[in-house]
Amino acid sequence: MGGGVVGLSCAFELQKRGHQVIVLEIGRCGGQASGAAAGMLAPYSENVEGPDDFFRLCRESLRLYPSWRDEVRQVSGQKFEYTESGSLYIAYHEADRLALEGRRLWQSEHGSSGIVLEGDELFGQEPKLSREVKAALYTPEESHVYAPDYVQALEQACRLTGVRIFEQLGQVTVEDWRENLALTALDGRSFTGDRLVVCSGAWAKELEDVFDIRIPVYPIRGQICAYEAEIKPVRHMVFCNQGYLVAKANGTLVCGASEDVAGFDTTVTERGIERLRKWNKQAFPFLAEQEPFHRWAGLRPSTQDGFPLLGPLPESSGRIIMAAGHYRNGILLSPVTAQAVADYIETGSRLPAFAPERFSY
Amino acid sequence: MNKDVWQIGGHELTSRFFIGTGLFPSPYVQKEAIRESGAEVLTFAIRRINLASTEDDSILQHVEGEAFRYLPNTSGASTAEEAVRIARLARASGLSDWIKVEISANERTLLPDPLETLKATEILVKEGFIVLPYTSDDPILCKRLEEAGAAAVMPGAAPIGTGLGILNPYNIGLIVEEAKVPIIVDAGLGSVSDVAQAMELGVSGVLMNTPVAKAKDPVGMARAMRLAIEAGRLSYLSGRISKKRYASASSGHEQFIVK
Repeated sequence: MGGGVVGLSCAFELQKRGHQVIVLEIGRCGGQASGAAAGMLAPYSENVEGPDDFFRLCRESLRLYPSWRDEVRQVSGQKFEYTESGSLYIAYHEADRLALEGRRLWQSEHGSSGIVLEGDELFGQEPKLSREVKAALYTPEESHVYAPDYVQALEQACRLTGVRIFEQLGQVTVEDWRENLALTALDGRSFTGDRLVVCSGAWAKELEDVFDIRIPVYPIRGQICAYEAEIKPVRHMVFCNQGYLVAKANGTLVCGASEDVAGFDTTVTERGIERLRKWNKQAFPFLAEQEPFHRWAGLRPSTQDGFPLLGPLPESSGRIIMAAGHYRNGILLSPVTAQAVADYIETGSRLPAFAPERFSY
Repeated sequence: MNKDVWQIGGHELTSRFFIGTGLFPSPYVQKEAIRESGAEVLTFAIRRINLASTEDDSILQHVEGEAFRYLPNTSGASTAEEAVRIARLARASGLSDWIKVEISANERTLLPDPLETLKATEILVKEGFIVLPYTSDDPILCKRLEEAGAAAVMPGAAPIGTGLGILNPYNIGLIVEEAKVPIIVDAGLGSVSDVAQAMELGVSGVLMNTPVAKAKDPVGMARAMRLAIEAGRLSYLSGRISKKRYASASSGHEQFIVK
């Protein structure tokens, strides 16, 4: 249920392992957050506090990415950008140095070869960076993909391996799940199967009453803009506490993301984009002169504790498996989520930290 | 009974909960948790804020338009000089003239540097800031900070983010006894019982971030903490019984004897 990056990844993985998979999508595949994402594969820059279970999941997914990428490319016959650019997390205050150093310390024990750069060394790496930047944590391991192409390749890989994809269903209703699985689309078509994997992202909460379980998933609007930038003026993914900048192979410079709470509204607002423009020119002064040529928004499925809901529903005899609430990291977490879902179906293995029933009492 | 209000630097406060804005899983949860906490004062690290346009900052934008008082902090500073510089930046941006002095020299414990904290407090008080230093739980040091002009003094219960609770309740009790300015327990609290204990010791308020933001349900925990503050405060005002070594029946025989 759901043809975003998570649903397609689960479908691809399961089909590869010999299962017959059907994808049900109310709109079109990759039409929501998956297609809007900037595609940052950045477990270290996205987790700055400490090595918790979520960080470990993100890091494991980054480890899986190269072979996953090769497989998706090979099966789909479609190329998509995957750039091992490394990242810079920049800081403007001397006072940030302590925090950067603390982060470098714990992350170095978890696969990062990061170093703190400053002065000439930093500006040599990233020449157009503002000279106001005092230091940056450079993490060579972080990469990025071009999300729309990646999701399209995944969809193609699914189709070519025999996944049946039904799009534009308008609405999908779960009619029965306790005894058998029965789902119907708006036009009356019905679907069944042995198991249902719920990958409906920001819309997962709609199933609370159906499954009689709390699903505290809330949409957070993320607004993004892009500049034309043919000669890559930004070499790394550049993060700061306000957002990120990343140059794509297609000659654009993507700046995200301005977050706000706006329900399911995906309108782009002047204020949201202005917010990005106010900080990004502080990081890269040349942007003060530029006008973004493209603006868009997507809904990130955030959860009550920031962790996704990943695993079987307790009362469903393993019939219902949740894979939703990936918030800012759906693209990054797609391979590990697919693996976790497929492993559960085949061996019953679970990830307790992400158990979907943890919010219910 | 008079309304149980208190003051910092001439400003009246009703809530005794100072809440940190960091670490929340999402802006939605952050907003809801802050609302549920009933806090009037929000605290955050100045270095994490976009000072050039604070109304567009990635954290502050979500609480914009509401009547909070901001208590920016100097976290990350390792000397008085650095803390003073950050404090001036924050005031110049129009954020607030309240400042939480937070100076740590050790990245593992983040324990406050007492000498630099005192020095920074002296300087910032002279410059007209309303200064709330975060400090270790030493009664003499807390008194010194008060004498230096701190508007409130904020001893730590335990190192930041550890959730270990009040490591030295005896000291916190002494600090409260001696103080003529509000005492706020800042850092190291983990649970509702820690918070109630702090309030029972007579502190004026508590400052928390991690125990709320990193709870499984931050909104639920914000409410739990608010209730703990209320319960602890009411208990302090109502006067707990003294401890006894042996039982004394709550329905003694004597009172029922018909004379």
